[in-house]
Amino acid sequence: MNIKITHAWLADYLETDATPEEIRKDLSLCGPSVESIQEAGNDTVYDIEITSNRIDTASVIGIAQECQAILPMFGKKAVLKNNPLTAHTFSSIDKRVGTPLDIRIEDPSLCPRFAAIVLEVRENSPSPAFMKERLNAVGIKSMGAVIDISNYLMMTLGQPTHVFDYDRIRDGRMIMRQSRKGEVVTTLDEKKIALPGGDIVMEDGSGELFDLCGIMGGLNSSFTQDTKRVVLFVQTYDKQRIRKTSMKTGQRTLAATFFEKGLDEELVEPTLAYGVKLLEKYAGGKVASALYDIYPRRVHPKKVTSSYGEVSRQIGVDIGLDKVRQILVALGFGVEVKGDNLEITVPSFRTNDISITEDIVEEVARVYGYHRIPGVLPPPAYVRQPPETEKLFVFQHKIKLFLKHLGLIETLNYSMISQALISDLKLELAEHLNVSNTLSEDIKYLRRSLLPSLIKNMRENEGKREVIRLFEVAKIYPKREGNLPDESYRVAIAANTSYRDLKGIVESLLNELNVAGVSFDKTDHELLAGSNACGVSMDGERAGTFGMLRETLQDAVGLKKHVYLAELSFDMLAQHAKNVAVYRPIRPFAVIKLDLTIPHTRTYQEIVTNTRRQSGLLQKVELLSEFEGKITLRFYFGSDTENITEETAKKELAALSANLS
Amino acid sequence: MNSLDQAKKEFETSLLRVTSLVELDQLNTAFLGRLGHVNTLLKSIAKLAPEERKSFGASVNELKRMVDDKLKSKRQALLTKEDKTFVDTTMPGTAYPKGSLHLITIAIEEITRIFEKIGFIRMSYPEVEWEYFAFEALNMPKTHPARDDFETTFIEAPEHPENGKMVLTPHTSSGQVREMWRLGKPPVRMINISKCYRPNWDATHTPMFFQFEGLCVDRDINITHLRGTLDYFVKSYFGPDREVRLRPHHFQFTEPSFEVDITCGQCNGTGKVKDAKCKVCKSGWLELGGTGMVHPNVLKAGKMDEGGYSGWAFGFGIERVIMMKYGIDDIRNYYTGDIRFLEQF
Repeated sequence: MNIKITHAWLADYLETDATPEEIRKDLSLCGPSVESIQEAGNDTVYDIEITSNRIDTASVIGIAQECQAILPMFGKKAVLKNNPLTAHTFSSIDKRVGTPLDIRIEDPSLCPRFAAIVLEVRENSPSPAFMKERLNAVGIKSMGAVIDISNYLMMTLGQPTHVFDYDRIRDGRMIMRQSRKGEVVTTLDEKKIALPGGDIVMEDGSGELFDLCGIMGGLNSSFTQDTKRVVLFVQTYDKQRIRKTSMKTGQRTLAATFFEKGLDEELVEPTLAYGVKLLEKYAGGKVASALYDIYPRRVHPKKVTSSYGEVSRQIGVDIGLDKVRQILVALGFGVEVKGDNLEITVPSFRTNDISITEDIVEEVARVYGYHRIPGVLPPPAYVRQPPETEKLFVFQHKIKLFLKHLGLIETLNYSMISQALISDLKLELAEHLNVSNTLSEDIKYLRRSLLPSLIKNMRENEGKREVIRLFEVAKIYPKREGNLPDESYRVAIAANTSYRDLKGIVESLLNELNVAGVSFDKTDHELLAGSNACGVSMDGERAGTFGMLRETLQDAVGLKKHVYLAELSFDMLAQHAKNVAVYRPIRPFAVIKLDLTIPHTRTYQEIVTNTRRQSGLLQKVELLSEFEGKITLRFYFGSDTENITEETAKKELAALSANLS
Repeated sequence: MNSLDQAKKEFETSLLRVTSLVELDQLNTAFLGRLGHVNTLLKSIAKLAPEERKSFGASVNELKRMVDDKLKSKRQALLTKEDKTFVDTTMPGTAYPKGSLHLITIAIEEITRIFEKIGFIRMSYPEVEWEYFAFEALNMPKTHPARDDFETTFIEAPEHPENGKMVLTPHTSSGQVREMWRLGKPPVRMINISKCYRPNWDATHTPMFFQFEGLCVDRDINITHLRGTLDYFVKSYFGPDREVRLRPHHFQFTEPSFEVDITCGQCNGTGKVKDAKCKVCKSGWLELGGTGMVHPNVLKAGKMDEGGYSGWAFGFGIERVIMMKYGIDDIRNYYTGDIRFLEQF
């Protein structure tokens, strides 16, 4: 979250000679990041990023505390003054009896501290000019003294407060409880909110809700221009419930962003006491009730034990004991030095965030300045990468580079696809793992194959280029009973060119990786046309499939042109790939090449297998061309032991030819 | 005219017609080759009367020398002749396919190489992960806001008795404890690069993105080692002029935690381009990502909490470093498969 405060406001609590620009720079380096400073009239506005663990800095006093520690490290003066945390206490309130509140908290875990007091106020009091200006400068609209004071308290101290119209709460009865699912509350902004259940609410005993606690007050109990008596209401809440309600109802109010981080119970007292003072001063406020403070489990100061040696060791630099103490004290910690040991008392506003030495290291190191800490590389160490992991990445990159150099374009898709795509492609929905809280129906089902995404890519790119050849290397996530999915990589290719083009890509990839023992055979595949779906095996084990997308599916997804697809198991490729092909000694003997055209009546693989089996001199067969049902082949004849004559080769070919036609 | 004069004349006529080295070589063969005119003339000596032989022989040799000399000078003339053929050297050559790699692939390779040099090995861990590794092991208790429906993507699957629900990992940090378990004891020097998922989809976020995680655990690792590694990475990847700064931040799995900024490449860290405010950065600095010293609870979950071990970790977005290095900020195009975007890299 970000908050805004002004320089004049800060100067109420901080004696400093630093300029706003210096404060911006120094705080950003060592504490909360000041994202910008902007002039506003005679004042300067700081826009500050607050990390979720430091909600205590989301206030003027919180920033003043940080300045007190950080600015002196840059040679600037910075001392807290008029500290409201100590200046305002319950003892200063002139309590009365009368106009009682009837408070019941059904579940104490909802609200660790509940404080409230009733005041009579002057109707329609205007805000003092300084307050109006400051609130305006930080982006809060001025709405009269009472509401402005409530906001001013929050910005000054970091504790949201609320003011109810006392006379609009039936019998002054405040029952704090969990909401029931479906209960409705109408908030100040006139929104009717149906509650998810388990939210912190208040009702008046009749069942009517008048506050969505920690998020926004109810419209029915809200302060108006005619309000004569107010309840000043200061609490802390169970942070998880506040976050849940705020997120689920979409009411992301500033108050909610404070309460959901967990506030300091000890801050309730100065906030309420200071609130009473401001109401008395600017809204004709007169205390008209007892002070209600329900705080069953008082938070006691936390202690952390550490040592100077340990702090230095973790930082890697000796900062000096005096400096360590100076930094911690300026941040509000109590420090007792016993030899090397540091007995540290944590201020109440840091209770949630400081508990171990490492937390102390952070405080010391950041205020000392990370920019003052030098850099060195870690000591050298050898950690063995598992060979299969190394192979995974080496071959992955080889494959990608090779396909790229063939002219293919790498695409990377979301790991999830839509139900619509799955059903268009007639795939089994139930076989896919799915996201239960998906942002969009487009990315709900985890891929079991990369092909659906590539088909989608082909459709969305159709017409943008004449020739489209894509590939993707990514994980698939097949379901496993009672376990995480069996994540493994696939290599997938899609092209709008031709079956032969696609097969050529597959074959050259296998060649590039020096995969031996490859065979192709006709197969069935849910996405590929029955006539040409082809399996790829390595040493007899299935490693992938390719073919043309079935025309019915092509039609279903709206593709105009045929699409040719291949998908290979990456693990199989990596397992069979070799960096260097098997070396064959160069034969000193002549090789005789002879061509033959035959009718294409049996499969190429049969022809190759049969002819090789038949002729001991046949070294290689090559496809030269294919035309009108005939294929032209080139046969390479040769011997390992002697030169053969053309006559011999011709005889071999004649014998083969007799068996082929 | 005798045969000698005839040969001589023929040679001279032919030589005049020669315009290329190929023709010159042919002429050379015709006269000086094994079956050329000169040899034929020499062979005809046998038919002559003995008294004529000597002078005829001398004349043939003179012819041979003459032919040889003229061929040589013609060769020189041809070689040094100005080539007047018109060649348009600006015509494109034969087109070869180029193809393209995804920007993410390119960045992953660059990053892997950089860390390899200082002994960091790349590992791979599950993207569909148990809550235990994504959160508990990283010091993020059940009540942490990042674990709710708004920040984490859950998988519809039965809950594991110890490991909790199945999620799409929201960060590469879920590999930290897995790597510690794999190794059993320090040293740890890991880079984990992976897809991550968070339910956030707008101009600057995609619900799937890539992170790279660095993890170093060893004896007496301190903040200076983190700083040194970040300096090394930033200067290697972005360039030697870039500077690094650490700012305080908060993450559950590190303590202390830092936000890393690097100087903007556009304005060289000055925040100004020609007296105007730099449009790329915040006052000269760009946010790189989060880092910190490994939280003791994480070391404990990784069973490396005893023996004086400590460590650092970082997790940076790959899309972000690409944007910072190459200025390609339209991340919505990364995962839509649009060929007009993909083919450019």
